[in-house]
Amino acid sequence: MLLVVLSLLLLTAYFGEAPSGRLHGVQRAFLTVVSPIQDGANKALKPVRDLFGWFGDTLHAKGQRDALRKQTDRLRRELVADQAEKRSYKELISIYHLDQLGINDYHPVTATVVGKTPNIWYSTVTIDKGSAAGVRVNDPVINGEGLVGKVVQVASDGAQVDLITDSAIGVSARIGTSNATGIVQPKVGEPNDLLLQYLPANFQVNNGEYVVTSGTVASPDDSLYPPGIVIGQVTSVNEESAYKSVNVRPSANLHNLDIVQVLTAGAGTRPSNLSHLASTLPTGQGPTNSSTGEALASTGAGG
Amino acid sequence: MSATPSAALLVRVAVLSIVVVFFQIGVVSEVPVFGVNADLSPLLVAFVALLCGSMLGAAGGFAIGLLVDLALLQTLGLTSLVFTLIGYWCGRLRELRDPQAALTPLIVGASASAVSLVGYSLMEFLLGVDAPVSFELLRQIVLGIVVNTIVALPMWAIVRRVLEGALPEDPRRRRRRRAYTTGGLSPLSRA
Repeated sequence: MLLVVLSLLLLTAYFGEAPSGRLHGVQRAFLTVVSPIQDGANKALKPVRDLFGWFGDTLHAKGQRDALRKQTDRLRRELVADQAEKRSYKELISIYHLDQLGINDYHPVTATVVGKTPNIWYSTVTIDKGSAAGVRVNDPVINGEGLVGKVVQVASDGAQVDLITDSAIGVSARIGTSNATGIVQPKVGEPNDLLLQYLPANFQVNNGEYVVTSGTVASPDDSLYPPGIVIGQVTSVNEESAYKSVNVRPSANLHNLDIVQVLTAGAGTRPSNLSHLASTLPTGQGPTNSSTGEALASTGAGG
Repeated sequence: MSATPSAALLVRVAVLSIVVVFFQIGVVSEVPVFGVNADLSPLLVAFVALLCGSMLGAAGGFAIGLLVDLALLQTLGLTSLVFTLIGYWCGRLRELRDPQAALTPLIVGASASAVSLVGYSLMEFLLGVDAPVSFELLRQIVLGIVVNTIVALPMWAIVRRVLEGALPEDPRRRRRRRAYTTGGLSPLSRA
């Protein structure tokens, strides 16, 4: 009975305090202490993980091969078309002196995933790089396949990353090369799916189209993800009255993360200044307000 | 098992808990089976309680839950609460019924996983996570219970092997063992 009461007291105190509170501080200190141990254990147990992963990968390999062949054919066709557009784009950039925020403005810090939540309610991973490596709260996290998430808590030698499938996350995004933006949010309890919401009702979208970050923010708590990072592919379209929403399958394999990159930006750099500008915008109450925020942040990003 | 547990037993439970929690975080959580991950920690709590009784079960559940919450930066106290209840109930099952069937670990493991997954989900709803009770969510919970049930027997074997030497002699089990080896009769009456 005493332990139940103690658990309830902990729960109440933790839930009620700010992220900078004492109990959160204890968690961060614990992460600092166990992060090297987790890192060591992770390296020692990698062969075991790889062995289990090998069986799963072999089972999926045939299906993936067929899908990738189709994808290669389609991408080859798109590449030819895009090369012509790219030339035009470069000319326009030089004519109008546009300077967009891109990944090159960030300093990528490569980190190893050393822990992952086992339940369906939290989609977080722990990485082995923290404030000592320049990682800060809200830094975007990517891997070779696309957007992974953002940093939510930082200790000196470790950090916690909320994956894009975590219920607490929302990413401003657009579909392919279109200008229509929406907000990608997770479908809680459905760890393999995301939902891109608040698209214009008359917007035409097809299955298989890529969803990428728009380079804008929808609320002061958001991370300013660089534009053009792949989030996923459209799997189905939901027709609604005022807005359209589409289901999106994440491109990054969030079940099997090993190496990720944290896009850090030092104080005073352009991404940092833009993030600060974005954080001072009024809180978005919905698609209307958020688009105001996005417009302001985009203006900043556009230089 | 109402007597105070020995220091050797406490050390073994503590070491086993730390190893299992880090193995869970570092390996098991990275290996999806049928799209879900096995969760060894509720099985560990249930089996420690099944071997050691309700007091150590509840205390172990609280400590293991706290370790999980600290290591994964989750809401502090949430896993502790669920695991304390699992530990206490499994310990009481041993104290009241002392089940000896071969399938007991399987059933206890499945029940502990069900209580863990459903209890956790209920707590998340109470704490205000905005999630629909979708078919996919129910599927994840059911699959989670199935996967945990599959790993329950090996987990039981490991926990029992690690703790066996440090468990105090239980008079009920001594009586049962003697009755089994002598065909239900006291050695004196046979003579």
